[in-house]
Amino acid sequence: MMQPQVIVLKEGTDTSQGVPQLVSNINACQVISEAVRTTLGPRGMDKLVVDNRGKATISNDGATILKLLDVVHPAAKTLVDIARSQDAEVGDGTTSVTLLAAEFLKQLKPYVEEGLHPQTIIRAFRTATHLAVKKIKEVAVTVKKDDKQEQRELLVKCASTALNSKLIAGQKEFFSEMVVEAVMSLDLLLPLKMIGIKKVQGGALEDSQLVAGVAFKKTFSYAGFEMQPKRYDNPRIALLNVELELKAEKDNAEVRVKNVEDYQAIVDAEWNILYDKLDKICKSGAKVVLSKLPIGDVATQYFADRDLFCAGRVQEEDLKRTMMACGGSIQTSVGSLTDDVLGLCELFEEVQVGGERYNFFKGCPKARTCTIILRGGAEQFMEETERSLHDAIMIVRRSIKNDSVVAGGGAIEMELSKYLRDYSRTIPGKQQLLIGAYAKALEIIPRQLCDNAGFDATNILNKLRAKHAQGGMWYGVDVNNEDIADNFVACVWEPAIVRINALTAASEAACLILSVDETIKNPRSGGEGPPGAGRGRGRGRPHAH
Amino acid sequence: MALHVPKAPGFAQMLKDGAKHYSGLEEAVYRNITACKELAQTTRTAYGPNGMNKMVINHLEKLLVTNDAATILRELEVQHPAAKMLVMASTMQEDEIGEGTNFVMVFAGALLEQGEDLLRMGLSVSEVIEGYEMACKKAVEILPDCVSSSATNMGDINVATAMIRTAVMSKQYGNEDFLANLIAEACVSIYTGSGSFNVDNVRTCKILGSGLHASSVLHGMVFKKEVEGDVTTVKEAKIAVFSSPFDCMVTETKGTVLIKNADELMSFSKGEEDMMEAHVKAIADTGVNVVVTGGKVADMALHYANKYNLMVVRLNSKWDLRRLCKTVGAVALPRVTAPTPEEMGRCDSVYLSEVGDTQVVVFKHEKEEGAIATVVIRGSTDNRMDDIERAVADGVNTFKALVRDARLLPGGGATEIELAKQITSYGESCPGLEQYAIKKFAEAFEIVPRALAENSGVKGNEIISKLYASHHEGNRNMGIDIEAEGAAVTDMVKAGIQDPFVVKHWGIKLATNAAITVLRVDQIIMAKPAGGPKAPQGKKDWDEDD
Repeated sequence: MMQPQVIVLKEGTDTSQGVPQLVSNINACQVISEAVRTTLGPRGMDKLVVDNRGKATISNDGATILKLLDVVHPAAKTLVDIARSQDAEVGDGTTSVTLLAAEFLKQLKPYVEEGLHPQTIIRAFRTATHLAVKKIKEVAVTVKKDDKQEQRELLVKCASTALNSKLIAGQKEFFSEMVVEAVMSLDLLLPLKMIGIKKVQGGALEDSQLVAGVAFKKTFSYAGFEMQPKRYDNPRIALLNVELELKAEKDNAEVRVKNVEDYQAIVDAEWNILYDKLDKICKSGAKVVLSKLPIGDVATQYFADRDLFCAGRVQEEDLKRTMMACGGSIQTSVGSLTDDVLGLCELFEEVQVGGERYNFFKGCPKARTCTIILRGGAEQFMEETERSLHDAIMIVRRSIKNDSVVAGGGAIEMELSKYLRDYSRTIPGKQQLLIGAYAKALEIIPRQLCDNAGFDATNILNKLRAKHAQGGMWYGVDVNNEDIADNFVACVWEPAIVRINALTAASEAACLILSVDETIKNPRSGGEGPPGAGRGRGRGRPHAH
Repeated sequence: MALHVPKAPGFAQMLKDGAKHYSGLEEAVYRNITACKELAQTTRTAYGPNGMNKMVINHLEKLLVTNDAATILRELEVQHPAAKMLVMASTMQEDEIGEGTNFVMVFAGALLEQGEDLLRMGLSVSEVIEGYEMACKKAVEILPDCVSSSATNMGDINVATAMIRTAVMSKQYGNEDFLANLIAEACVSIYTGSGSFNVDNVRTCKILGSGLHASSVLHGMVFKKEVEGDVTTVKEAKIAVFSSPFDCMVTETKGTVLIKNADELMSFSKGEEDMMEAHVKAIADTGVNVVVTGGKVADMALHYANKYNLMVVRLNSKWDLRRLCKTVGAVALPRVTAPTPEEMGRCDSVYLSEVGDTQVVVFKHEKEEGAIATVVIRGSTDNRMDDIERAVADGVNTFKALVRDARLLPGGGATEIELAKQITSYGESCPGLEQYAIKKFAEAFEIVPRALAENSGVKGNEIISKLYASHHEGNRNMGIDIEAEGAAVTDMVKAGIQDPFVVKHWGIKLATNAAITVLRVDQIIMAKPAGGPKAPQGKKDWDEDD
């Protein structure tokens, strides 16, 4: 009897299996890396991504581009994930990590097709990664932390290497100083949230400034605002989470009155409550009143009459940063405005920046926060600048925590490649070939740097290989002269942790993709599955044919 | 319906239109066997250290990369009723032992395959079943003789590491030493030395970034949350747990406050503040210094909490809240009131810490009862961390299994070959037709070394013959050497590859039961699936471990 096909799984389930599946996964990853490949390095190109709502983003940050691409292929998603992980862990090097992972897979594809067992490959790769990480730790140069001046120089160099590949590379000296300044002003934990980045359209990039303290855009103001002074020396600052308006009571209260007098009394009472609050604030000695909630007309005028400045609807994070900078604490009631809950700063002023008015708090006693005000032409341009600065800030934070650096520009990759190749020659068996492949894959970084700069990659790589063989271990690509140079001397420095994380993440991702030999895709539940497919549980249709 | 299956007249007419009815060997038994075989084939390539991963995209479009059979089967949504039996057996193994699920699938699949041969040979179903039952009984009898060693001192971290290593190896090959050590550290730190060990006391927390080797063990509970207020560290914590929002103003039913005159209005706001302060003060006065809430934290409440130096932590998941209650010995209060001393939880310290770039709140507790350890998993992708988490869970379950029963069996196919050898000779001593079934049962055991070998890229037949040869010489601990380039055997005990006794014991029992149940079915009657809207799908993972 003819054996009809037996259906084990739900209808619409898609299964694919075996080596072809593995190869197709590898191919998918290749496609993804193509998308970000050209953004690597100082001569990398930017991408313009338009999302489904028509918002345009210009970026050369790998993680940003991959995020916007909305990848659905399950294997390729892994690459997006590692870019995200690199972003979370170190903040920069997202393109390199994607590129490395894809290149690892590319180098391995022939071995997989030849029928080498993926687990053998994975084992070799883990060994190689382990060795590479050990090597980085070995060769990384540690900069003394005690010497503030030296540390600062190191940080500036790292920041400018990170900015090198960005849109604002032209102003990298300017911005790297600024970024280092900003990070240095933070406390030991280096919370990223304490660096505010504000964007004001107009002006030139060089007009951007760093404010040691807090600055935020003037909030929406009510009548009476014009009369308030815009500058105070040594003001006390009240930080509130209180609505200063007439109808500020809880909304679940209902008022029922019996006669006209009562009504008048209620109205009076409302005014009294408000005046009582305002009075308390005035008496506390605060000169600047900031509130998360609205401050109404009456309050604004009341404060103006009494020589106080006020701003309502301040963004929560701005308020928090003000608290961090000026001390004090955010109050939810005005009942206990004592001196210790009020903040203090040397100078408060409202200043015109471009087309906007900004409130500045300068000379703060704690000053564990700072604000970068970015200027620039197009909106996309400023957004990209912000992302670039974010990367640089992350790099600087990392370098403070881990003070060892390696030379960038493909130098460390070439050195690792050489080291692994030498190592591979000492071992027998399949592992030799695989570690050799790993070494070869590492060369993608300098190669891509050359390609993006329009150089002859083969030529430059030959030179690099020769130089590294002779012991010039920090030689990398010199994009300015179409040649090779000692990048450690040229001050192209990167924190070692960035490279270590990139290698670990890339090889983990490659191993993950390699270890998959079957994809099973269930139809989306609740969607338009095939009609009649399994209703309820345990009542499948095993012999539907 | 591409192929119309002719139905026997008579029986079909008794049923409603559209109902299906199959009976006999050809229509029911063989088909069931085929379905089960197919399913077992899928998980078979995931068996062992060299097993391949499967990429499963479930009905919620969540991507999983794993070689854990229980997970694959759960997400597969198996529809075939007979194949479901195998899934159930494997689920039972997961519940009972928490490990060895793939063994159940693979072995049951092999039993059915052999069963098909027997049936085609002309044996009746009942003879096969009887033979299998006898063989299973015999196997369980023989099993204690195979015990190679027993874990005596589970409190020693080195002993524990060696024991857990095998289980982890099959999930995260290449990282087994690191992970096993990590799991052992976690388990040993909370193991009291008495017979009980609660798996729930080893928790995992996944934080994206860095690599696997950055994973670590923290003593206490770890939540990926930030504290709400200003207090970030508390020593000698007394904990009040509220399942409600930390805000006394919200009433369950909607109501309004009626204000009759101006005085009331004046005092309304003031009263609100005073009340809140009184509440918070009452809580603080009981000695509580940490407040954990399951809901939102009102600004006003937080204000006073800061004032009275209370640390406020918000846990969104009810599950987390319950677990925390269990750990610290607190009673979750449904509304914000001052807790009595019995309702309060205690732990050594509560503090905010930073792992990678993520802020975590740690509830540290090192007392003997209810101690808890958390394995913080780092990894570059979510899928990878999920997979590591499963490996950790397996390792912890192994530890638990060994605490219950310290006996160990040699792994790597050694036990299976020994069983096969002995059952074959037992079968030869049986006079009846069951003899065939018993021998086939023994043969089914070969599937384990075969799968291990094939997944490592070695020829199965070659390795099995080698294994038999060395077992006949009396080396009962010889198993397959997956590290070697070609087919080779090695002493499993010396290589440190050993499985807990209970895993094999239950695995054999459950797999045999499942196979017998599938074989026993000779008729399938299916009612027509009811039309109408789709039956509501039970949200089964609402309380799953996260």
